[in-house]
Amino acid sequence: MSQISAAHNKALKELLREKAALFWTIAWPIIWVIIGCFSFTGGAPQEVVPYIKGSIAISMTVFALMIAGMSNLPASIAGDRANGLLAKLISMPIKPYKDFIGRISVVVTLSLLAAALVIVVGIALGARFAGTGVQIPQAIGFVFLVICASVGVGLIAGTLIKSLQGAIMTGVGIAVVTSALSGLFAPYEFLPVPLQTFARVYPISSAQASIAYLLAGPDMVAYNPLTSGQVTLTIALSITLLLAGTVLYSRLGWKLE
Amino acid sequence: MFAVHVENLVKTYDSRRVLDGVNLDVTEGEFYALMGPNGSGKTTLASIIAAVKTQDSGIVEVYGEKPAQAREFIGYVPQENFSSPKLSGRENLVYFASLLGYSRGQANQLVVEMLQSVGLSEEADKRVAKYSGGMRKRLEVATAIFPGIKVLILDEPTTGLDPSARRSFFSMIQEIMDKKTSVILITHIGSDAELASRVGLIDNGRMIAEGTPDELKRKHAVEDVITVETAAKSERVLSVVKGFGIDGKVMESEAGYRIYSRNGDRILADVVRSLDQAGHKVMRIEMARPTLEDVFFRLTQRNLQEATG
Repeated sequence: MSQISAAHNKALKELLREKAALFWTIAWPIIWVIIGCFSFTGGAPQEVVPYIKGSIAISMTVFALMIAGMSNLPASIAGDRANGLLAKLISMPIKPYKDFIGRISVVVTLSLLAAALVIVVGIALGARFAGTGVQIPQAIGFVFLVICASVGVGLIAGTLIKSLQGAIMTGVGIAVVTSALSGLFAPYEFLPVPLQTFARVYPISSAQASIAYLLAGPDMVAYNPLTSGQVTLTIALSITLLLAGTVLYSRLGWKLE
Repeated sequence: MFAVHVENLVKTYDSRRVLDGVNLDVTEGEFYALMGPNGSGKTTLASIIAAVKTQDSGIVEVYGEKPAQAREFIGYVPQENFSSPKLSGRENLVYFASLLGYSRGQANQLVVEMLQSVGLSEEADKRVAKYSGGMRKRLEVATAIFPGIKVLILDEPTTGLDPSARRSFFSMIQEIMDKKTSVILITHIGSDAELASRVGLIDNGRMIAEGTPDELKRKHAVEDVITVETAAKSERVLSVVKGFGIDGKVMESEAGYRIYSRNGDRILADVVRSLDQAGHKVMRIEMARPTLEDVFFRLTQRNLQEATG
């Protein structure tokens, strides 16, 4: 426990003292919530506007989770490798999995913090959510699937990309490009058919659609993401990405040769 | 039992042998310097002893155990600065203490002592980003001297430090070393290696010489050089100074003569006296001791600093 909390505390302090990381993880999604709530609701009927705002807040929450997992995590891994900390850690009697859990727990902590702030700003700007009862824990479950998939991609990037800048840029690039292609920034129905297929297969956009469906209402999503086949696919691919990242990190992440 | 025992160690990268049958023994409490140019294999050797890398063949033991099983005895300070610049010195040390299993209370208490031992108590709560290079290296040494550490491996710890910071760094090392801690210093700086009780010279993955600094200089016939300048150069002056050189070995320099001797400190006064008695005024005299760089040059015909680049 001591090693896990040591890794957690160090990575969390470093992240909280890194203004650029905080900006891209927390401030940037909040800025887009503000822009979205004022710009993208003009033509909609008045009674639907709060739920559109809710849907925008959900999209940006998911984007914040993606940045935390896909960029901050590989930056932390690549940075520690580049500055020699990894060599130091390998020479010490430390279990790599404890360092791994410590790092992941920071991503989860930061993700939840970012998600809470984005949602609070959304609500302050008039966003409303329709979810009740069992839908809220279900939505939280999909939030964790987004975190799993993002962490998986982050671990793969952090393990394979050796330089700090390369890891950051790769993570941000994957987050931005896949968000754009999968309809995180645009309504699903505006996407061309191949990208609609991608949006359903890509576990993060599928999970985001599920959260929006549960909390902002079925009218906010152009398809039903909660069919058993779709949910199974989302869970399976999220877990697969996490496992792939974990295996890669544990096999190669702690090797300097 | 040796603190560190290395036998016939081989390591290859991309078909290039970076370590080619290296043997090395370090006894308990010994200060051993491994000196060689960049690319000689010294950092690879250190990282294998520190359990960071593995060898292709050969034996490496730390107190009779494979390095991976002896991690709790090994304190390794890699060449790169690994302390977090975003954390304070204290926070960095608490992090490493917690990784070693100390509770928060124990870690806090231990860190106070460690900061004191490396002379950073007053800077403990400053962010490491504001530390000088020397302070940062001291902090990183502190991460490698937790109780129970028996072998301290320092990889190029003084690179980038000015002479004063280097002196201060080694004073600290001598103060914190107890009689049972063995220190392996990896360096390409001769004056740093001079401080060790034994030095191994490594080049192209092979150990080319080993011994105390004095032994190495004696064995490889590296002489003291006395440079003497008189009011005027003449055959008579030359005949006086020739008597002091090894086999009369004296070379003319721009303003005087260079005398090569194995015991320069003993003959220095005699040179002055003899020239004075012969009526030649000595304008300047100085003695340069041989360095380990000279030994390296003698053995490889390459200048260590040039080879290091």
